[in-house]
Amino acid sequence: MRKIFPAEELARDARFIRQTNEQRLGDPRGARVAGGSSGDRLAKLTPELANGPDRARALMHGIFVGEIQALEGAGRTCWDFELDEEVPLALKLDMARQCWDEARHCEISVSLAEHMGTELGEFAENGLLYEAACNPDPVLRLTGVNRALEGLAIDVFNTMKEFGNLAGDPVLEFCEDWMLADEVTHVKMGSDWLRRLTANDKERLDKALEFQKIVDRLFSFNGFRGEDDDSPIQLTRRFRELAGFSDDEIDEIADMSREARVEAPS
Amino acid sequence: MSEISVTPKSFEMVFYDSAVIGEVVGEVAERLGFSEPIVLEIDEASPLGRSKITAYDPVELWVDGGALENTQRPRHFGKQRTRDTIGRLLIRILDRRSGRFDDAPADDELSLSQFAAWDAHCVGRLERLGIGGQRKRRLYQFRNRHGFTDVADEAFDLLWDSSELNWPEIERISSECRAG
Repeated sequence: MRKIFPAEELARDARFIRQTNEQRLGDPRGARVAGGSSGDRLAKLTPELANGPDRARALMHGIFVGEIQALEGAGRTCWDFELDEEVPLALKLDMARQCWDEARHCEISVSLAEHMGTELGEFAENGLLYEAACNPDPVLRLTGVNRALEGLAIDVFNTMKEFGNLAGDPVLEFCEDWMLADEVTHVKMGSDWLRRLTANDKERLDKALEFQKIVDRLFSFNGFRGEDDDSPIQLTRRFRELAGFSDDEIDEIADMSREARVEAPS
Repeated sequence: MSEISVTPKSFEMVFYDSAVIGEVVGEVAERLGFSEPIVLEIDEASPLGRSKITAYDPVELWVDGGALENTQRPRHFGKQRTRDTIGRLLIRILDRRSGRFDDAPADDELSLSQFAAWDAHCVGRLERLGIGGQRKRRLYQFRNRHGFTDVADEAFDLLWDSSELNWPEIERISSECRAG
């Protein structure tokens, strides 16, 4: 079986249609983000917005395809690297556990889609998460996926949990809470392995953190994820601390979002 | 058949064709019994899904480009989405002209729950005419405005399945489940 499986060859049935990053970023109206458009000054995602429920549906569909890709990515990490030569067994076991979590998240997301009136494949799929999971260095892979993208998932799940709470929707609220707990663990795995595998390799650590920043920036359109009260997605400081982020690292993400917000067209 | 006027005539940001849009709008209008001219203005710069009736007589509609978009293929025209969007607007015009909605507030004065209740009644009828649908999507919107309860679900079924409610009935159904 080949190593490093290309993103464009991932198996999908006819319901799913892929939108490339070039198409996404090349949309002159602004890339789609948080169930809305980065071309707009998006309001915080709450049920009180006229388009709140529809934005929530689109966002959760994005999370659903992200779960599929996270499952595929963690599975590839179990296989793509040679035991002991490239990664220790404990890392593969962590990735195997993550596969089990992601598979469960896929099933939860399918049920949530049904609950929210969303058809599977109703929205275009973007493959960025899996593409980050194709990095040939396992440290960069875990940093880009587990710390950057699963870190974003923490923020999204917490925002959606709050959305469910405000709407009086216990199904959404509890599903988000359960998945959030797993995501904190996944991000923690990324933080732990980053430190363990680069303990004596400052250059590799710097490269991994730079890769994380690149991935974080790709998802910081107009600073949609931040600590301001009106940020569409709230940066969740407490859960990130639990997941092994230092205060400086969280400050840096908050600053990046704030800068992107200032630079965004008004 | 209605004469349909689509603005803009050509698009720069999305892959839409005003002639095709005009055909789909005309087809929906014909199914609903419209024979008068309809003006449709599209804001192609917006991928959001807002839509509104800007004038009732003559009929003038305004939509975000996203309200006519195929959600699987961003920037591409979505025939079914367009039918749903335009159908909802036109059936609301028919409702207001029927005399059964004389007591209804103006569109910009409707609350989110009133809108959700009226939309459920509109889209239920559109589905039976083979024009629109997405019952579960509408149920989710309705629940967000009226509660995730059995009472709200029964109210939704009544709105969806009824063929000709009037405004006081819709308002009563909506307010009863909000109170419950």
